[in-house]
Amino acid sequence: MRTTTRQKIFIYLLIALTLVVFVGPILWFVMLAFRAPGDTYSNPPTFFFKPTFESFYVTFINPGNNAAQLRNSLIVSTRTIMLSLPFSLAAAYSLSRYRIRAKRFVMMWYIGLWMAPPIVFIIPYFILMTWIGWAGSYQAMIVLLQTITIPFSIWLLKSFLDEMPFELEEAALVDGASRLQAFVRITLPLALPGIIVTSIFAFVFSWNNVLFPLVLSKQATATLPVGAISFFASTGIYWNQIAATAVVTMLPPMVIFLVLGRYVVRGLTFGAVKG
Amino acid sequence: MPRLLSTKTVPYLLLAPSLIVLLSLVLYPMGFALINSFRFWNLQTSPTPVSFVGFDNYKMVFTTTPFLAALKNTVVLSVLATCAQFCLGMGIALLLYTNLRGMSVVRALLIMPVSVAPIVVGFLFRYLFAPEGGLLIWLLKGVGFPVPPQGMLGNANTALLSIGMADTWEWTPFFAIVLYAALLNSPQEIIDAARSDGANKLSMLWYIFLPMVKPIAAFLIMIRFMQLFNSFDLVYVLTGGGPGTASRTLSFNLYQEGLVNYNIGLTAAMTWIIVIIVAVIINIYTMVVFRGQEW
Amino acid sequence: MNKKHAFTRRDFLRMTGAVGGALAVGAIPALEVGAAPPPRRSAQATETVNVLTVGDPWDLALQTVTEQFTEETGIEVKIESLGYVALQARLVNAFLTKTADADVVAVDQMWISQYADNGWIRSLDDYIKADSDTEIDDFLPEVLYSLSTWRGSMWTLPIAAYAQGIMYRTDLFEEAGLDPLPASTADAEDWTWEQYFDMVADLNGMEMGGEEFFGTVVIGAQPVPIVHMFTQLSARYGTRWFENFPEAPWDFTPTINSPENVAALTDWKKLYEMAPPESINYLWFDAGTRFSQGDIGMFFHWTPYFYLVNNEGYLSGKPSPVVDKFKTAVLPTLAADGPQVVSLGGWSLGMPSTSANQDAAWQFIKWATGADGQKAMGLADTKGYQFADFGRKSLYEDASLRKIYPFLDTQMEMMVLGDGKVVRPPMPIYTSLEAVYGLQINEAMSGAATPEAALETTDMLFNNILTGNQMIPYNIESYDDTLENTVALIEELSA
Repeated sequence: MRTTTRQKIFIYLLIALTLVVFVGPILWFVMLAFRAPGDTYSNPPTFFFKPTFESFYVTFINPGNNAAQLRNSLIVSTRTIMLSLPFSLAAAYSLSRYRIRAKRFVMMWYIGLWMAPPIVFIIPYFILMTWIGWAGSYQAMIVLLQTITIPFSIWLLKSFLDEMPFELEEAALVDGASRLQAFVRITLPLALPGIIVTSIFAFVFSWNNVLFPLVLSKQATATLPVGAISFFASTGIYWNQIAATAVVTMLPPMVIFLVLGRYVVRGLTFGAVKG
Repeated sequence: MPRLLSTKTVPYLLLAPSLIVLLSLVLYPMGFALINSFRFWNLQTSPTPVSFVGFDNYKMVFTTTPFLAALKNTVVLSVLATCAQFCLGMGIALLLYTNLRGMSVVRALLIMPVSVAPIVVGFLFRYLFAPEGGLLIWLLKGVGFPVPPQGMLGNANTALLSIGMADTWEWTPFFAIVLYAALLNSPQEIIDAARSDGANKLSMLWYIFLPMVKPIAAFLIMIRFMQLFNSFDLVYVLTGGGPGTASRTLSFNLYQEGLVNYNIGLTAAMTWIIVIIVAVIINIYTMVVFRGQEW
Repeated sequence: MNKKHAFTRRDFLRMTGAVGGALAVGAIPALEVGAAPPPRRSAQATETVNVLTVGDPWDLALQTVTEQFTEETGIEVKIESLGYVALQARLVNAFLTKTADADVVAVDQMWISQYADNGWIRSLDDYIKADSDTEIDDFLPEVLYSLSTWRGSMWTLPIAAYAQGIMYRTDLFEEAGLDPLPASTADAEDWTWEQYFDMVADLNGMEMGGEEFFGTVVIGAQPVPIVHMFTQLSARYGTRWFENFPEAPWDFTPTINSPENVAALTDWKKLYEMAPPESINYLWFDAGTRFSQGDIGMFFHWTPYFYLVNNEGYLSGKPSPVVDKFKTAVLPTLAADGPQVVSLGGWSLGMPSTSANQDAAWQFIKWATGADGQKAMGLADTKGYQFADFGRKSLYEDASLRKIYPFLDTQMEMMVLGDGKVVRPPMPIYTSLEAVYGLQINEAMSGAATPEAALETTDMLFNNILTGNQMIPYNIESYDDTLENTVALIEELSA
């Protein structure tokens, strides 16, 4: 399409506006984390101020209550994907490579589950975890997060497996390899990138989840988002510390999404859009 | 091929673990809720269930909690925010689709809001909406928007709108980049042909672009609609469901009864009502969206 | 973008690195047993009490002084402080599992009945009887009655007691030509709520030093905060929640939709018209902060704000602009209609029945709620002095504390008029009622419902909730819960 200079300028102006709207607030929030405690608001807003690391120092170093939560977030998210991967890989392989009765129904069930309101799980599990003595433990959160990560991972992994040529596995089988050998030697290495992408997205989902830890964690196992919420105290809202914790919370997913750039579309649509 | 298909049991064996895990994860709370929805059990008066009360809990959902108001808010929020996100997202996708220099960078940057945890978006907007000194309040006043004296989050007419704005901020870029990808993946010839036929912008949009992204858009809309329907994080941080019940959603209503008031029986009954509503929506939608899809 | 996503080698390395890193960080701690508690510093010999508290102002003072307790007794103290909702969830959780999650817990006055009835906390009667140095008779009986007793036993001991009182701007009063408000009930015979409203109206819209003033500020956020402030006003009109409570026989038929309460709610709306519009969303501290920022004429609030408003923001360490420009006063009394009923609330320390460490727990409760511990908390300088919520008479006489907190006489008079069982009755499902009540008052305040309609709805919801929770009719044994009975209990325990 031929675009005139005037049209171009117009488009760029719109694009600039879009960026200001969607990226600006993030920067504004990051700035808050570097402001001094008395400098939370100003009217009109000020963009120039003397940055301080005080909020990060207080939240992550001394007394550093949130440092442990950072560790907890990592523990919960990594263990969640480690637990869900074997289940979802097996299911995705089966759905991708075999003719299965009710395949459509199963796939729909997975995605339906993913769209179910997480809050309905919470109260029964709050009671159950209490009965079996898992209340406040990492396991409690990890197990419940499976309701999110397994369905998602199956869909995304299946889309990756669907794209891999069948013929290589066929060839290996013809050469006398067992199905398992063919899977381990041929399929797995080829599927590894897809597995990694899937794991990373599943990681982000559990990292960003707040409802399950909010109810199922205790102070020793609380994750970062829960830590940020606790700054809404009955004595006041500690904006700078919320921002410091929030910035650390949003950093890993953001870096991951920026690095994975071209897989983001695919990841967020369960593999439905190849991007 | 034949050898792969030779065993009938292997695929089901591979599928079984995930199905069993998920089924038990789902059946337990559903069963728990079903049994207890017919019992009187309030943790504030007794650590164990007290008595069978028939359908009293189901009645109480409507007579003691603002369930219908919450349902209305949830539907309004889901419908309007999904529409806003789709329209804005489509607009941005078309901007990107001009493929001017630098658009790939723009697209990459637009991913940023999508990666932010909803709870952090809640904090961010609460800060932006702060009645004294919030950036967004300052801007809205600057452009002449009638910011209510109680602030955006404190006014019954704008509280739900504000939640919708926060969600729209986070997820519009998601629509934009996915729809952009869909446009790129569409056959270029059709577009070129239409252009050379001298189709105007509006008819291009209506007859070419929208039909091209339709299958993907339907999928996106379904996901987002359901996520909005389940909204909790944003409501929790931004308004706590207030003022009054102006921004209370179904999820927040359930949270309030379950984890603030601890009436387990009532919560169980409400769980079932919500699950049935959600199941109906998902089923209708999947029947429409995935009709004729190959697997 | 359009390319098929063939993975390049570089993509792959980049990603493996990212995942590897994440896994390594996650895997190291993964070697520990699931939710094992963090290792204690020195497992040897020293006893530790685990204390669960709430992030209220008193909690900070307590944390600063526990070292003194450790020095005196050799018992280590580990305090974990949580938000209000999180604390309750955590306690209910621990009680249900019967796990020894903590040895000492902070208990809101509203939780006493359910914790006691469910057997989740242990009665302190025997401990108090055994240790005469508890000096239980030093506590104001009204405070123990409101915060710690249930069915004739002492379940907790008060750590922070709050009454309500007035704060007003002396400079603005002078400018308006108003007389100072009475600091003692002795001077308050003709001090009425009508006058209070008139003064707020006088102050509203006044200008001084280039600042335009609001007459007052309210706590309007639903559901809990608004109830705390509104019930104080509505108690003045004679509103009671139930047909018969706390006196026996208990009858929880709601009486919330009374002409008195409609009048109270109508006046509450008037008060709001003379307050900043955004205060419909204000939590407790928002109202306090607004007053300390200097554009509010007068307001009433929980007594901890008598000292909290001295600071610009909580923990900012900076004195607020109003620091020498405000005074405290007693709530109006009504000579004609009898004495004012003051809301009395606060926190107390209790002992979960599951605690394995009961002796140490009792030692800590006794110390922290005792005269020494409370005085230490009052003298602790945590970016300003921030604790004067005493429940003990002796501390109101203490010279060093009176110097720091000049308002102590006023505060004590309000405590003595306090009744925590009438203004917000702490019956087992109070929180459910408060949730719908607060919502309805808030609706009336925003204009979404008329006061009449809001209270009618409240009454209907109360009826439904109370019936649904088997409180109407009440088939369990009642207890004649009167101040006299608490006084008798105190005598018995201190004998």
